[in-house]
Amino acid sequence: MNMTFFDQFSSPSFLGIPLILISMTFPALLLPSLDNRWITNRLSTLQLWFVNLITKQLMMPLDKKGHKWALILTSLMIFLLLINLLGLLPYTFTPTTQLSMNLALAFPLWLATLLTGLRNQPSASLAHLLPEGTPTPLIPALIMIETTSLLIRPLALGVRLTANLTAGHLLIQLISTATTALFSTMPLLSLLTFLILFLLTILEVAVAMIQAYVFVLLLSLYLQENI
Amino acid sequence: VLHTTRPLHTTQQSLAPVPPLPEKGGEVRHGLIPEEFFQFLYPKTGVTGPYMLGTGLLLYFLSKEIYVVNHETVAAACILTVIVYAIKKFGPEVAAFADKLNEVMKKVQFDLAAVSLQRKGFVKVQTARGQGWPPCAAVLQNNIAMLLEANYRERLLTVYNEVKKRLDYQVALQNLKRQKEQDHMIQWVEKSVVQSITPQQQKESIAKCILDLKALSKSAQATM
Repeated sequence: MNMTFFDQFSSPSFLGIPLILISMTFPALLLPSLDNRWITNRLSTLQLWFVNLITKQLMMPLDKKGHKWALILTSLMIFLLLINLLGLLPYTFTPTTQLSMNLALAFPLWLATLLTGLRNQPSASLAHLLPEGTPTPLIPALIMIETTSLLIRPLALGVRLTANLTAGHLLIQLISTATTALFSTMPLLSLLTFLILFLLTILEVAVAMIQAYVFVLLLSLYLQENI
Repeated sequence: VLHTTRPLHTTQQSLAPVPPLPEKGGEVRHGLIPEEFFQFLYPKTGVTGPYMLGTGLLLYFLSKEIYVVNHETVAAACILTVIVYAIKKFGPEVAAFADKLNEVMKKVQFDLAAVSLQRKGFVKVQTARGQGWPPCAAVLQNNIAMLLEANYRERLLTVYNEVKKRLDYQVALQNLKRQKEQDHMIQWVEKSVVQSITPQQQKESIAKCILDLKALSKSAQATM
């Protein structure tokens, strides 16, 4: 069968058994579980330090009510980070390239922030739809624009993550195919392409980490507006 | 990895006592292959055995096209270069950082251990002192007991005296009363007797007394 470039993004299955759940839950196995030990090994210490760093960073702008979200936001961050980074290894499947998964993560969380805002402080939430200092004739148009921008947020969150990762993976595949194809005829050009691939890989590592952070950061920002 | 090799809930009390973590993790060569594999092959194939095996396997897979070289190979080469470079460059720094984070915990543990050792020493010294204590203690205790006894006896005497005083008072009161009654009665009797003596009786008694005296003087004269 002819492989297309998009076959790497198809949901994995083995003998008809879908493996998508395993591919989503496997990264959790790589993290050491928190012991009630006083002195742990380096990996556990670093994990603890990292989780503390993330939580502190995310929860600083939020007041006490927002600290309820600490667990889900931190675990979401670790989840996305691990999945994105593991997807850069060869022959691996990245669940976050699936729009279904990213929308499934983004939509409920965004809706939760919106409903929290509408429930606890409805007028303040709705006031965000009109920025301060707009000239009066522009108000109707601006309300419509802001409403659209509000409603498009979950879509934007999901699609941003999907698009970034899919594009990155696709580019890696394309450039490595080019390298392989050029290897027999023009090796020097192949080497140049390999250099490009090397730089792209570094970029992809950065993008993987940044996209996870941006996802969670935007969610925390939406929470800040509405809490 | 070390944390997955520990068994879960094999005994009733899975939490305590917590077995200590080994000092170092499992030894690995080239970051991937455990040292035990090399030791396993050493008796039969010597030092170069595992490397020959690895090279042979790799060439076998490549030549038989069990592993096909495609674009993923190139991508794999890229990402592996990046990973190895990152680990070689930042590995020691990260390890030192992790050790520094652990340093605080170790210091606290050492302090706690030192304090508990100090306490044990303290207890030992006190028990040693406790064994030299009895003779001295017995003497002092005796003294104190005697003092207490003396004090008690004094108080007992005071109580006795007070009670005796009150009882003596009552007795003296009764005696006085009876004495007074007796005196009064004697006086009364005397007075009534004296009053009952009429002048006739007086004359008769005086005359009788004179006769008695004469008789007595006669008898006295007779004896002389």
